[in-house]
Amino acid sequence: MKELKILLVIVVIVGITYWGIEPLAHSIMHKHIEEAIEKYNLPDYKFSDLGPAPAISGDAAQGKKNFQMFCASCHGLKADGIPAPMDPKTAAASFGVVPPDLSNVASFTAENFLYHFIKDPARASEFKKISMPAMGLDDKQIMDIIAYLKSTAKKIHGAELFKEACGRCHGAKYQKIYADTPADALKKYLGKVPPDLSIIMKAKGEHYLVAFINKPQALLPGTSMPRVGLNEEATEDLMKYLDEISDPHKEQRKKVGLIVLAYMLVMIGLTYAWKKKIWRNIH
Amino acid sequence: MGNKLIKWLDERLAITTLWRVLMAEYYLPKNINWLWSSGVLTILVFVILVVSGIFVLMYYKPDAKLAFDSVNKTIMMDVSFGWVFRHVHAVGASIMFLVLFIHMGRGIYYGSYKAPREILWVTGFILFVLMSATAFTGYLLPWGQMSYWAAQTITTLFSKIPVIGPDLVIWIRGNYIVEDATLTRFFALHVTLLPALIVVFTVIHLYALRIVGSNNEDGIPMTKEEKKEKGIPFWPVFISKEFFVMSVFLFFFFYLVFFNYKFAMDPINFEPANYLQTPPHIYPEWYFLSFYEVLRGFFFSETLGLIGFVLSMVIPLFLPWLDTSPYPFISAKHRPLFRIAFWVFVADFVALTILGKLPPTGLFAWLGFIASLVYFGFFLALPIISKIEKKQAASGGVR
Ligand code: HEC
Ligand code: HEC
Ligand code: HEM
Repeated sequence: MKELKILLVIVVIVGITYWGIEPLAHSIMHKHIEEAIEKYNLPDYKFSDLGPAPAISGDAAQGKKNFQMFCASCHGLKADGIPAPMDPKTAAASFGVVPPDLSNVASFTAENFLYHFIKDPARASEFKKISMPAMGLDDKQIMDIIAYLKSTAKKIHGAELFKEACGRCHGAKYQKIYADTPADALKKYLGKVPPDLSIIMKAKGEHYLVAFINKPQALLPGTSMPRVGLNEEATEDLMKYLDEISDPHKEQRKKVGLIVLAYMLVMIGLTYAWKKKIWRNIH
Repeated sequence: MGNKLIKWLDERLAITTLWRVLMAEYYLPKNINWLWSSGVLTILVFVILVVSGIFVLMYYKPDAKLAFDSVNKTIMMDVSFGWVFRHVHAVGASIMFLVLFIHMGRGIYYGSYKAPREILWVTGFILFVLMSATAFTGYLLPWGQMSYWAAQTITTLFSKIPVIGPDLVIWIRGNYIVEDATLTRFFALHVTLLPALIVVFTVIHLYALRIVGSNNEDGIPMTKEEKKEKGIPFWPVFISKEFFVMSVFLFFFFYLVFFNYKFAMDPINFEPANYLQTPPHIYPEWYFLSFYEVLRGFFFSETLGLIGFVLSMVIPLFLPWLDTSPYPFISAKHRPLFRIAFWVFVADFVALTILGKLPPTGLFAWLGFIASLVYFGFFLALPIISKIEKKQAASGGVR
């Protein structure tokens, strides 16, 4: 009884300390993050600050023509046999970043975001120095292009999604994925080399990542990471991937953990029985 | 066969005598509780740290360019079960301090630091300092953001020492800032000198224990003969309980290793060290937070803070000489005044630990200041309590 009382006292002291240095401290240190998430109601997959896309149904065939006229000087679209106009080095030297291939962009980007991005990249991405210019296209032209992009887009997952959505700036070197753009060009363009994302899930956690990718400026005011407008499905897919690569032994850990704990339970029983036996004649 | 071997060994090493002296005929008092298992638990954790340490050492690369990836990729992902050893090592380091705090708290509560156990207390204190140094040097090795900035912040403290300070910091770091040279020397200390010293002082600690024997819940002095009569032998009686305590402890330990390790592996340390980017909050591992808070507690004066910081680490060493009241005023069980002071101290230590992680602004700064004063207040109250108790003892003693 006395032994249990001592244990209880220690459990209470350790419990209070743990509560103070973990949940309490984190809630206080990360207050500004929670506040930003609440203020902007993140993740906001409607990108409600931008408003909807115009209700015009686009024409993919016309869109392809527009694409070749306005976009193909910078972007490739491999799915439809349009190669990248420049090699990555030249592209990086010209724009600071390699313009992404747009084959599947419509499958992982929200439609109204895409519309606003093509109309005014700096406003939609919330990155003033973004190197894609606003081209003064009218709504019909843009919606035609979007219809074309949709016609070529396949659903992509995991590593492929990561490479197409983030790969122009970020690598995941533990997966042997390297950013398309050379680091020094990125540094010049963005002011810093974007971090490697191999174990970013462990460093930041899903709650933060989802909100950050949805609206970087809300959580890191002044950051040079553009908003990229991932839709909900793609965000979830990407989170799953980032979690898998940052913690590849999750399943194994659970399994081994349970076996070890079960073993320790048996040990507790055996040692208790032995103690009982030895102490029977004491007191 | 077995008997023959034992006989053969016995003729050469006197192992049966050794066994008798060390185990079967070493007696402990009966009125002790499981807190007296904390000593063996620290040995257990130390062994766990050494074993897991050797395994991670096989793949770790002490080079500022390679360290982070060797830990987070090679050990955590590529080596089979490498992650187990890293988790065990990181959680083990944290739990070592939990066990040490319990061990020291037991010593303080039951007056185990008092005569004739001063050497036990002093060698124990040295072990605590060595363990702290081992943990501090070890924390730099994964070369994450918090590794780097905690080392940068703490080593900067040395620069405040008058006259030699600035040169001393450069000498410790091997450069103007924490970088590769710092990493390699911390590595050398962490894997060789410090653990070796811990082993040496553990031996002295245990030797001293054999000479003076364990204290007990009531602080009653007992001779060896009295213990033999009324006590229990270490083997098999004490050890049977010890094994049970160990099993319960290991259950808890492995639960943390597999299912709840974040407190020992800070998320921000999964970002590689970047000397251009200071993290918004810098804090040491939890077991240093209380001392760190004393440093910050004197928020109006850096010098006072530094003095307080050093004093807060050193002052427990002097407990045997601050608290000199004689038997029956040994164990807090029989010292009402001391008991109050003890629990205030424990509460204060918890408060300091929590405040050490919170941003030192506004109310928290003042709370930190008050808590720092209370910390020293405990030690300064001891001579006064001793005086009162000595008077009581002289006038017949109150029990
Ligand atoms: C002058 C070159 C240039 C032209 C012309 C151009 N872009 Fe871009 N585009 C870029 C660059 C550079 C980026 C990458 C910007 C960044 O991430 O900082 C980009 C990014 C994009 C993205 C990715 C946005 C995201 O959310 O990740 C889309 C979609 C896009 N462009 C569509 C178009 C379309 C459609 C056109 C034609 C109407 C077009 N671009 C014309 C240079 C160009
Ligand atoms: C145009 C380049 C660019 C693209 C595209 C981009 N990022 Fe970033 N990202 C950056 C930069 C630059 C930073 C550094 C921001 C800073 O520290 O201010 C960054 C930082 C981050 C961070 C760290 C945030 C933090 O709090 O430190 C994460 C996580 C991240 N990006 C995820 C992504 C993901 C996921 C994608 C793809 C969906 C993506 N990024 C696409 C440039 C980019
Ligand atoms: C690596 C670190 C340490 C190891 C391996 C260790 C080991 C032990 C062991 C095995 C015992 C006997 C069992 C027991 O009474 O719990 C003991 C007793 C003791 N230790 Fe430690 N110890 C360590 C650190 C410390 C520290 C940091 C202190 C205090 C500053 C300390 C003070 C004492 C005292 C006072 C006793 C006697 C307790 C009593 O008999 O009531 N030890 N130690």
